[in-house]
Amino acid sequence: MKKDKVAKSQNGGARARFKVGDRVQVRDMPNIFYTRTQNYVRGVVGTIAECTYRDLIPEDEAFNFDGGLEQYYIVRFRQKDLWEEYPFERDTLQTEFPEHWLEPVGH
Amino acid sequence: MSAADKHGHEREHAHGHGHKHGGDGHTHKAAPMVEEITDYEVLEIAVRELAIEHGLFTAEDHRKFTEWAEAVGPAAGSRLVAKAWTDPAFKARLLKDGTEACKEVGIDWAEPTGFGTPSDYTNFRVLEDTPTLHHVIVCTLCSCYPRPLLGMSPEWYRSTNYRRRLVRWPREVLAEFGLILPPEVEIRIEDSNQKCRFMVMPVRPQGTDNWSEEKLAAIVTRDCMIGVALPRPGRTTDIHPVHKARRPVQSAAQHARAAE
Repeated sequence: MKKDKVAKSQNGGARARFKVGDRVQVRDMPNIFYTRTQNYVRGVVGTIAECTYRDLIPEDEAFNFDGGLEQYYIVRFRQKDLWEEYPFERDTLQTEFPEHWLEPVGH
Repeated sequence: MSAADKHGHEREHAHGHGHKHGGDGHTHKAAPMVEEITDYEVLEIAVRELAIEHGLFTAEDHRKFTEWAEAVGPAAGSRLVAKAWTDPAFKARLLKDGTEACKEVGIDWAEPTGFGTPSDYTNFRVLEDTPTLHHVIVCTLCSCYPRPLLGMSPEWYRSTNYRRRLVRWPREVLAEFGLILPPEVEIRIEDSNQKCRFMVMPVRPQGTDNWSEEKLAAIVTRDCMIGVALPRPGRTTDIHPVHKARRPVQSAAQHARAAE
């Protein structure tokens, strides 16, 4: 692993497309070669909880390809939005994505 | 075990090198040794040996790193939480920049390579519980875990059972750990499948006023920092009760004795 590939904290948000509080929908793209975006969040709408850092994306990194850095986000979902008939109103789930997996949702 | 080894083993028995078989003179055949190994373990060994052959690292590097990783336990995480409970200024620093604040309890996420371990990176977030919010961590992809602070994850944390069920039925899974939370408390699952690593900072329990950091750290066990248990005075280990099997497996000899 090269030192310059290491994600650094505290540098997020510089050229970020989304900001904390924005509503976003997880894109449902084909799983080609490699992804870290789980099926259970595809197509679900959530809220940006944090702009974390800029880093290589897993799709490139898995093949040691330096395709440039991308902004990452932690997104918060309601459990009721993730799972049909989830019975508890307040429960939530957070997970993280590189920017290209997210698209804006109109208010 | 190869056929040659097996043959050698039998011959050794036949020649009786100090191995007593009981006086009846029967020929003892050694049971074949079965070493189980998964495809992924085979793959790891193959990739590791290729990496060593290509000079990416040496066998000595690999041994040292493995020993280093296995020696890390959850004690640093416990100290971190105890310090945050007793020192509001430290708690503020910890929540602002977890990676940096870890250095104050002697943990540098850049160790031992200078840029962190191969999958831990250096983005660390502490998830602060409140009386109405309870966090629990999981990695649905595999096994992401705050290893510099908590050491190697427990076996169950890496199991598909925990990973696939926690995100879908968190309250049921927590109940299996003995943690039942009222519906008013929001449960927030943190699925750490990218480059941030997380750890839970539970609410300081009642009855711990004037406790020293050391005494507090003793009740902040690994399970409390994963979020499957809550700290309380007197609870200092994560040992779960062992229930005896109702119909335990018996050897053939036990069956024979029972039948007599």
